[in-house]
Amino acid sequence: MMFKWLSDSLLRLRTAGSLTIAQFRQQKLRLLLAIIGVALAVLAITLLAGTGIGVLETGEQQFNAAERDLWVTAGETRITSAGGGGFENTLYDSRNLSTEMESQEGVSHAIPLAFDTVYAGTNSSGEFNTFIATGTPQGGPAIHVTDGDSIQGDPHYANGTYEGEMTNKVLIDEETANELDVGIGDTIHIGGSLAAARGNEFTIVGISPTFEQMLGTPTVTMPLSELHEVTGNTQTEPATFITITVEDGSSVDTVQQDLEESYPEYEIRSNQEQLSSVLQEQVLLLAAAGVLVFLAISAGVALTMSLLSLVIHQQRQTFAALTAQGISSSLLIATVVGQGLIIGILGGGAGVLLTPPAVAVLNRLAATIVGFDGLVQTAPWIYAGALGIAVVIGTIAAATAGWKISRVPPLELLH
Amino acid sequence: MARSAAPDMKTSSPSTIVTANDVTKVYQRGSEPGRLARVLGRSEPPTVSAVDSASLDISNEEIVGLAGPSGSGKSTLLHILAGLERPTEGSVLFQETDLATLSKRNRTRHRLKHIGIIFQQFHLLDSLSARANVALPLVELGIGKQQRRRQATELLERVGLGDRITHRPGELSGGEQQRVAIARALITDPDLVVADEPTGELDTDTGRTILQAFKEVAENRAVVLASHDHETLEICDRLIQLRDGTVTNRLKQESSSDEDS
Repeated sequence: MMFKWLSDSLLRLRTAGSLTIAQFRQQKLRLLLAIIGVALAVLAITLLAGTGIGVLETGEQQFNAAERDLWVTAGETRITSAGGGGFENTLYDSRNLSTEMESQEGVSHAIPLAFDTVYAGTNSSGEFNTFIATGTPQGGPAIHVTDGDSIQGDPHYANGTYEGEMTNKVLIDEETANELDVGIGDTIHIGGSLAAARGNEFTIVGISPTFEQMLGTPTVTMPLSELHEVTGNTQTEPATFITITVEDGSSVDTVQQDLEESYPEYEIRSNQEQLSSVLQEQVLLLAAAGVLVFLAISAGVALTMSLLSLVIHQQRQTFAALTAQGISSSLLIATVVGQGLIIGILGGGAGVLLTPPAVAVLNRLAATIVGFDGLVQTAPWIYAGALGIAVVIGTIAAATAGWKISRVPPLELLH
Repeated sequence: MARSAAPDMKTSSPSTIVTANDVTKVYQRGSEPGRLARVLGRSEPPTVSAVDSASLDISNEEIVGLAGPSGSGKSTLLHILAGLERPTEGSVLFQETDLATLSKRNRTRHRLKHIGIIFQQFHLLDSLSARANVALPLVELGIGKQQRRRQATELLERVGLGDRITHRPGELSGGEQQRVAIARALITDPDLVVADEPTGELDTDTGRTILQAFKEVAENRAVVLASHDHETLEICDRLIQLRDGTVTNRLKQESSSDEDS
């Protein structure tokens, strides 16, 4: 009895498989379109999820690459509309504060870092564009130079007198170079106001993508004192961050706790905490990204379901005729599920296979346009998830459509 | 409802395949009103009686024709006899089995074993060869591939398609497709074959060929044809005339005269 049931089930399963393949061989174009539809849905899922991962990974990599252990801020590191836009630098008297912090136990270096909006142009009487300028008191390995030389030291500061000689040297990134049509050795005018920009000429000494990648926008990088000079901030010496490097052998957590006790008015964060903080402040951006991922998955699910429903709907009359002949619903549903499974696997597989080249194209575009390398990053679980969605949704959609058709009296479909 | 012809009812002889007793089928036009619609005063949808108190029996080895104009109820009656529709009133006995007592699944199983159905539009699976189309119902009976192929080939040879067994429906003419459909209807060796306008899609010559095939089909089984085509109905041993769902006349073909049975 059991053997008979098993044998019959296998026979029906084999027949369902044969029917599935036969249906596909007959309707190659329909199969191809269904596979393309599912592949696009999968691609949308992998790319949007990959962008989300990429933003987090890139951010973390950038923070790690900065070779800093702690980040000190005074409030939020947010974009402000003041002065034409840019970072709100709320950490004042940053030079003295850095010196104080450097004297704390376990702290190797405390370096202020300022981002500010400046005007830059190639001709003092010509057109100026706004860029983000980064001010740092030293060059060093934290600033990656791909061509030319780095900036060296900050002699203009001169122990707070601002009477030292200005180096008048800047680093720019590829995007800034393209925008201003300049290269190493060329001079540009930079200032916090148009008047200041016309009066301050800097020589480009090298190309560095470091801060462009960190901020996602074209930047110029110069000594901190010279940034404060050209933006008129030498009195308050504002900074966006003070970055802390702990001494070898010291615990980052311990130093963080000590600094938090000594400077309760400031936020002191690790790399991971700082990244989270930056991301949390971009809540609208994150919400938009989340909505996009949700929409991509929903659209993928809806597209897969409607495609399969359509594929099954087109076969309803034939199935109704077979039901009338006495062919059981289970055999027909198995055939339909087989179609959903195959479309899900082939479409999902195609979407997964298309993802790496699509990621490469998007990353190249992102690197060219906004300077981010590796903006879209994938992980095995993204591939597995997208493929799983395609297969599971495909199968469920087909089974549902098949079940619904099997519930309709055959004559209703044959009239 | 008065009938113009006396019913030949409730006297199932050993050779009787199917008996319909006072069968009525009422359809609703449109959907039932929901609760809100009832509150808002939407009335029940109108009904239409497709078959009205029809009684008949079909015996082995006879070809019975259901005749009448479009909308007379012949297709509905045919579907009721085949177990595709449940009558609103009355009963259908198929070799002592009351079809109303069968579940949906068992009625499907019953059709598989006992009834062959032929549609006007053939309804073959385009993706399968003629032989695979014919053999498909045997899967449900648990018959192995070799035997399925052998039986299907034999039947296709019987209907004159021995050289077309590997062709798909798209590669066959209308008449050839209908012969494949006939072979498919016969593959489970059913007791009753029902055909709804079997020549409706065919030209006259092809239709005649198909009708000849029907005569051969009738050996050892009953055949019921629903058609409004005079030539198609000429092959029938008996004719049952319907009008507005009511049996109005019963005719014996051999005598060519009206005969209330």
